Amino acid sequence: METRELFWEISSLGHTLFFVVAGAAMAVAFAGVVWHVYRYARARRSPVPVHPWRGFWRMVFDVFSQRTVHRRDRSAGHAHTPILYGFLLLLAATSIITVEYDISEPFFGFTFWHGDFYLAFSLIADLAGLGLIVGVVYMMWRRWQVRPAKLAYRREYRGETETRPRARAWEWDDTLFLWALLLIGVTGFLQEAVRLAMDQPPWGPWSPVGWVLAQIFLGLGMDEAAAAAIRRANWWIHGIAALAFIAGIPWTKAKHILAVLGSLSTRDALALRRLPKPAPARAAAADDTEPEPEVGFGSIAQFSWKDLLNLDACTKCGRCHEACPATASGAPLSPRDLILDLRAHAAQSAFRPGANGAALIGDVIEAETLWSCRSCGACMEICPVGIEHPPMIVQMRRQLVEDGAMEQQLRDTLDMIANRGNSFGESPRSRGGWTSALEFPVKDVRAEPAENLWFVGDYASYDPRNQDVSRTVARLFRAAGLDFGLLYESERTAGNDVRRVGEEGLFESLAEHNLEAMGAAKQFDAIVTTDPHSYNTIRNEYPDFGEVAPIRHYTSVLAELLESGRLTVVKPLGRRVTLHDPCHLGRFNGHYDEPRRVLELIGCELVDMPRCRDNSFCCGAGGGRIWIPDPVGKERPAENRMHEAASLGNLDAFVVCCPKDMTMFEDARKTSGHEGDFVVQDLAELVAEAIDLKSIDLKEVPALVDRITEAAATRIADTVADRLAERLAETVTERVLSELADRAPTLTAAAAASQPASAPKPEQQAEAAPASGPWRAAPVTAATLPPYEVPAKEGPRLLVAVKRVGELNPDFAIDEAGGTIADEHFEYELNEWDEAALEEALLLTERLEAGEVVAVTIGPDDAEETLRRALAKGAHRGVRVWDESLRDADPVTLARVLAGVAAQETPDIVLTGAQSADLGHGATGSALARILGLPHAAVVLGIEWDGADAMTVTRELEGGMRQQLTLPAPALLTVQTGGSTPRYATMRMIKQARKKPIAVVDGAGVGLEQAGAVVRRLYEPPKSGRAAMIEGDAEAVAKAIADIIRDKRGEV
Amino acid sequence: MAGILVVAEHFDGVLRDVTLEMIGAAAEIKDGLGGPLAVLVIGQDVDALASAANLEGVDEIVTVAQADAHFDPALYEEAVCAVAEARQVRLVLIGHTAAGMAFGPAVAARLGSGFASDVFGLTLDGAEPIATRSGYGGKVSMDLAFPDKPVIVLTLRGATFKAPEEAGSASIASFTVELDAVPGAGTHIDYLPAPPADVDIGKAEFILSVGRALGEDTNLPQFSALAERLGATLGCSRPVADSGWLPKAHQVGQSGTIAGNCSLYLALGISGAVQHLAGMKHVDTIIAVNTDPEAPIFNVAHHGACVDIFELAEALEREFN
Repeated sequence: METRELFWEISSLGHTLFFVVAGAAMAVAFAGVVWHVYRYARARRSPVPVHPWRGFWRMVFDVFSQRTVHRRDRSAGHAHTPILYGFLLLLAATSIITVEYDISEPFFGFTFWHGDFYLAFSLIADLAGLGLIVGVVYMMWRRWQVRPAKLAYRREYRGETETRPRARAWEWDDTLFLWALLLIGVTGFLQEAVRLAMDQPPWGPWSPVGWVLAQIFLGLGMDEAAAAAIRRANWWIHGIAALAFIAGIPWTKAKHILAVLGSLSTRDALALRRLPKPAPARAAAADDTEPEPEVGFGSIAQFSWKDLLNLDACTKCGRCHEACPATASGAPLSPRDLILDLRAHAAQSAFRPGANGAALIGDVIEAETLWSCRSCGACMEICPVGIEHPPMIVQMRRQLVEDGAMEQQLRDTLDMIANRGNSFGESPRSRGGWTSALEFPVKDVRAEPAENLWFVGDYASYDPRNQDVSRTVARLFRAAGLDFGLLYESERTAGNDVRRVGEEGLFESLAEHNLEAMGAAKQFDAIVTTDPHSYNTIRNEYPDFGEVAPIRHYTSVLAELLESGRLTVVKPLGRRVTLHDPCHLGRFNGHYDEPRRVLELIGCELVDMPRCRDNSFCCGAGGGRIWIPDPVGKERPAENRMHEAASLGNLDAFVVCCPKDMTMFEDARKTSGHEGDFVVQDLAELVAEAIDLKSIDLKEVPALVDRITEAAATRIADTVADRLAERLAETVTERVLSELADRAPTLTAAAAASQPASAPKPEQQAEAAPASGPWRAAPVTAATLPPYEVPAKEGPRLLVAVKRVGELNPDFAIDEAGGTIADEHFEYELNEWDEAALEEALLLTERLEAGEVVAVTIGPDDAEETLRRALAKGAHRGVRVWDESLRDADPVTLARVLAGVAAQETPDIVLTGAQSADLGHGATGSALARILGLPHAAVVLGIEWDGADAMTVTRELEGGMRQQLTLPAPALLTVQTGGSTPRYATMRMIKQARKKPIAVVDGAGVGLEQAGAVVRRLYEPPKSGRAAMIEGDAEAVAKAIADIIRDKRGEV
Repeated sequence: MAGILVVAEHFDGVLRDVTLEMIGAAAEIKDGLGGPLAVLVIGQDVDALASAANLEGVDEIVTVAQADAHFDPALYEEAVCAVAEARQVRLVLIGHTAAGMAFGPAVAARLGSGFASDVFGLTLDGAEPIATRSGYGGKVSMDLAFPDKPVIVLTLRGATFKAPEEAGSASIASFTVELDAVPGAGTHIDYLPAPPADVDIGKAEFILSVGRALGEDTNLPQFSALAERLGATLGCSRPVADSGWLPKAHQVGQSGTIAGNCSLYLALGISGAVQHLAGMKHVDTIIAVNTDPEAPIFNVAHHGACVDIFELAEALEREFN
């Protein structure tokens, strides 16, 4: 009967020994599995919903089809498939033998491993083993001969010239894994060959590899003794190698065999396109305070089990390393190395919790690594084992933002978004300004319903080049009869990139604001946008915050309008173009085909770049990187992309369908030297040409209807008005005249009474000069304010005066008669000099490890937001004084009010900004010092104070020179910007600051006693509008410019 | 009760320009206002300073001796108040400088005077001084009057008023103020030189900025030489800094530095991306040169021209040679 003998010539001792070793190997493997499961069980819950069974079948499909392993590395995929199947089949074969030998035969006397079954078994196992060996040998050749860059662990992007010790361990891990597989395979065949050589059964050829080897051995003259010796020794080598491999599975690279089952099953279908909200609080704090939700990942202990499973699944294949735009442009980030570093740190921390003392951010992963990410999703998209890198990066960024550890420009941008609702720092009122150059009015959805709400986004609203595109899109919609409207200034930054930067609190408030604005708008059915970033967050993230209408990207809308014939191509363009797939449109949301359909419909020849569709190469703007300056001198991702496009040759246009792409590539085309090679154009601009938009009169149809109705209405109204006026005039005049006659004396008296006797007109004042009275010095005194509750002093008290300053919108208007500017023309924010003063105060208390910082402001209810910002940064208490009489108070009056507060607070140091950004008096602080009788210094850059009687102060003088001096304490200092960088207050901290106390004090008419000056006239300084163009050649222009320069210098 | 008191500001034995300019501003209105024009010099070695302040229009120079040469706001406040009271002056003029900001408002609070700071226009309405200042980044101007104020303290913006050119014939009188025990005075330790920095866009008053029309970094020297000749600080737009042609410190704009003190801006080959405009659109006088007549920079510029920037640079070089 066809079968073979197991445990040939193995003694009972050997038998026992084998089972002991096998048992030990299983135990080690089992312990490893238990250890990992224990780690996952102890880790945090996944912040995103996990549907393991739904994911299970996809995992099964992905594993057996090897789909993910074949992507973008076909030869590695072709090699991995036989390794996987070889391994699985040989595992199955060994299991089958175990089932018969250890279970069915001894317990039930039932055998099946013989006859035809055995022959088929032999054939399949032989082919599996052959596949395994071929695959492994290819992998060895690839790793050590082909040496693809993505498999190298030396961090050249970090300037490493030697491989770090840990990376050498990874190399050992890879080496051992390959050699172990090869050894098991080769010794298996050797064992089979010597057995067949000795036994020479007639069914030998059913084990073709072993049989051929046996024939070779016999042909080479191997005698029975030699064969038997090999057979005895090799049996142990093969067995122990296989068992050692099993024991090593949870501890070595082989770990991925198990981990991948979990990581592929638990993939988040919305990963990165929908980021998780911060994890809820773990437990209530020891005292009664409400537990605060965790902000982000500041330590490995905050990673969820799903993240840890992801880390364990990494096979170091390097696909992410290859796809990452940050890695490609030499930024200090490789997604693979990030994962490997995190994995090593996680394992170390699990063995010895807290023992290695390394800080997650700083020691393990550097902040600049985290900031290098463009959150384009390329790494995650290509990862064959389903690792989701970017969400982990964002979680760690959240911690950085919380700590204020970010570039100045990013902080400024976030502040601008918080204050103004856009990243340009422009007035919210000018958000819809781009529509004014259109031939037709654009609906305001807040006032009238529209089928589509166009969510414009920041770049399309404010960037001049993109405003052109927005207008083109508006005209296309108009030409197609698509009904749309805007939210105008009620729209704010959608927040997609704010969230990816890690400023979760600000994102939440933006999402809530925009949803509220949409909710308050009139009826609309759907949202459209040209901005893939807004598209992504509104589509995938806003639903977590409230109900939101379906959203479409304009590429889908244009495709539909062209296909349905609502837009008709009259001039097929016949241009050779390439298309850049925006990350947030393609990779995030799968819209690869819509823009391509449009290009086809307008008759363009599309030549795709090598990296296109799911492998599209990010422009470098994502993840908030557009707000962070790129390092000078290095090639930026957008420039890299320009070279790629140029290599296609004879390109007419590089087509984009994302406003940020337009900005990035328009810049990069010039800096990368491809200015003459092609143009960067928006898809809509090409469509406009193809349908000959210019020839379509957009005003005509609707305007005609309007005009007819309007004309008719005017005529009717005029007629009615004339008649009414006549009748009214007759009756009213009669009545008024008769009534006046009766009441004349009373009216005169009333008129006289309403004339303020105390306020002579300015002209009268001038005539009355010198009405100023006899010379007298009348020292200004502190205002008497109603007492409020001031806690007892514990340590030094620092009083910081903060002001919300208004910046005028470009379209402001002065009410010249009233000498005022209406509040609606201002955007308010915390005065940056006061921010610097607050920072000095906070630094002083931190260095003293004692003391209280009290922020005081003078302002109406709205100014409390400013005060809260100061509290969010660390001030302990707030005081707000207000009275309507203080609205336009001069600096001396403000100083009187602040002195009234200081009188109650008895501070040890008073700090103010050196000046305010709005009126720039630069006076309040010094006047306050005089009223309080405090020693003082102005324009201070640094303060050293140990809480004793004197302090050392550094003042800034003109031209950057500085003076150091000592001042007695208590004292007042006015602080200049640039000394220390003010800390950042996240939106979450600002919300939290609501819990800190603010005393509201009645200003009690202090401003009525005007102390310093009276505004006689408020007016716009004369200015020219659009540039006066100087005509003539360079010579003439130079002369004119020289005159202007000389004039300006006062040389004329 | 009459006359003007100009408080001289000096450093290292030299009167600062703002002092001379204040004398010029005061001389303009002194006849209409009535009373003498006095200059107050506070310092250690006052004689040399006093003679430097003796300019056309000055009637009297009052000197107050100080034990050391270092500025202290408490001493200045004490001296200015004493002299102002003794002479019963109508108008006190102080420079709007780091020093003036330290004691000017304190003098005003102590005298209970009329007060305005950073004044760039000083006129009379009858015999009443009217001060002009601006707010909100220069978008709004305001004329201020000081009714019922027998004395007015103003701090004047530097580099705005014209200094008299001729020497004067003022009398010089010393005035004694006890400055040894003024409460709140500090103790001078040292002066620290300005930290080394290539350029300071934020403080530059005249900036010549180049944009990507520059084309290549080899073209840069032509423009840095021109900037030097014109006495301008060399600035640039984002692409120039991004290309590494100029250090980041030169970049004007939202991502670079705001040209906060600039009053004359010459933009060569800059199209005017909004980030750039954010850094310079507030400047008093902007001249833009770009070959594209539709460039957004012309929307904020006061003077514009469409010529080649290299030809222009050569012509300007000749013009200023």
